Amino acid sequence: MSARGIVAGTADAIVVRSVSKSFGAAAGGLKVLDDISLNVANGRFVTLVGPSGCGKSTLLQIIAGLVPASEGEILIEGEPLAGPRPSATGIVFQDALLLPWKTAAQNVEFPLALRGGDATRRRARALDMLALVGLAEVAESYPHQLSGGMRQRVAIARGLVEDPKILLMDEPFAALDEQTRTKMGGELLQIWERSSKTILFITHGLTEAIFLADTVLVMQARPGRIVERIDVELPRPRSYDMIGSEYFGRVRNQIWHLLAEQVP
Amino acid sequence: MWSNALRRVAIFAAAIAAWELAFRLHLINPLIIGSPSLVIQAAIKDWRGFLDACGTTALELVISIAISWSFGIVAGTALGAMRMLGAIAAPILSALIAIPLIVVYPLLLAWVGIGPESKIAFGVLSGVFPIALNTLIGVRATDRAYAQMATAFGATRLQLIVQVMLPLAMPAIISGLRIGTSMILIGVLVAEMLGAAAGLGFLISLNRTLFNTGAVYLGTLLALAMAVLIDAALSRLERHFGAWRPPIHSQA
Repeated sequence: MSARGIVAGTADAIVVRSVSKSFGAAAGGLKVLDDISLNVANGRFVTLVGPSGCGKSTLLQIIAGLVPASEGEILIEGEPLAGPRPSATGIVFQDALLLPWKTAAQNVEFPLALRGGDATRRRARALDMLALVGLAEVAESYPHQLSGGMRQRVAIARGLVEDPKILLMDEPFAALDEQTRTKMGGELLQIWERSSKTILFITHGLTEAIFLADTVLVMQARPGRIVERIDVELPRPRSYDMIGSEYFGRVRNQIWHLLAEQVP
Repeated sequence: MWSNALRRVAIFAAAIAAWELAFRLHLINPLIIGSPSLVIQAAIKDWRGFLDACGTTALELVISIAISWSFGIVAGTALGAMRMLGAIAAPILSALIAIPLIVVYPLLLAWVGIGPESKIAFGVLSGVFPIALNTLIGVRATDRAYAQMATAFGATRLQLIVQVMLPLAMPAIISGLRIGTSMILIGVLVAEMLGAAAGLGFLISLNRTLFNTGAVYLGTLLALAMAVLIDAALSRLERHFGAWRPPIHSQA
């Protein structure tokens, strides 16, 4: 099934229509994204997998409203996007990017604090989110006192603190070791199942992409474009055993071949 | 065993005693090098004058520091946050730091008079540029990923600068404050020595021409005490802001 020409439905949390992005002057510039169209239905978990340099992070930054697209249009919950919409989309980056002088709880509270309001309620909300990611007991710790996995969970709590419908995740576990990464994936699925968010998750890990997703979008590079859309027909809740299944292996192989076509 | 503090006091006392002894035995010229007892005599004779001088100098210092810190940090932050202006301003600031600004002090005297105003003006001139430059460099060097994070969570430009970039730049800013503040102290004292009617630098300079060696030494010691106090205050500030410092970039 091709990712192109999708008609936006009202149930789509994210719609990307013919988005292209070039850096530098239009003529001699570098085209990083070429005519990208995709949609993510409400409550779905979609992963976007591709090699380094395929523009997947740029695409996420465009969807987050951080970088303008050169062409095309983004709809978030049906509304055209013009800049960051933190109440609609939370974001988690590859680096946790916690402010080192703030405690875990203060970091989670940061987006709320930017908009002011009742401090007690803000803090209660931040503590709730820390509890959701299983870190209630380190609320008063500073980032440098936490492990890489814990810092990334604080970042996830921060991404969820404004209760956005959509969570954008840019290779959030890429800097973690293999075991922590797998474990974090499982925990993320639990949080997702409890909170009914729409998640767009970028990764270059095939296993991670398949294990987490309802749908995997496969990107190729130079210029970045979506070449395949694969619906993962594995039951929920997912278990780690599924990674060894014959079906999983076949899907993995299919994606691997799509990506390997490009390796010189 | 003696504690470290006690040992330090003992060494200090021994050095003072040896100095006094050398003076009493006429091993040193009293017109050039004083003695502890001369310093004490000067303090007893003119404690009132020295107290006033300390007050004058301290006031000039405090005002110079207040102006230099606030103006230096605000200007440095603004220039650091605006890439184009920062690129233009940084080399100018570097040049201003490299110039021996003392050559303009006679002009300052002519413009604002011999009172404390010219000392404050010269103190600010000495201290504000290193503070502004360090702040500019610190703010400009902050990791852009943090700025992107804050923007994604809806920070306004002002919030981004004040709540994210400025604290991230704090280590650089504090080292600027250290350099700048010691330049202010030097600036104010030198200004007082070159042309003033009051203050510690003025008393040192005046007593030197009168060959009151004890008073010169007393003034020098008081100036040193001010430097030590300022340094201690800055160390405290550094510790306060350095609490979170360990790994800024090792975040996974």
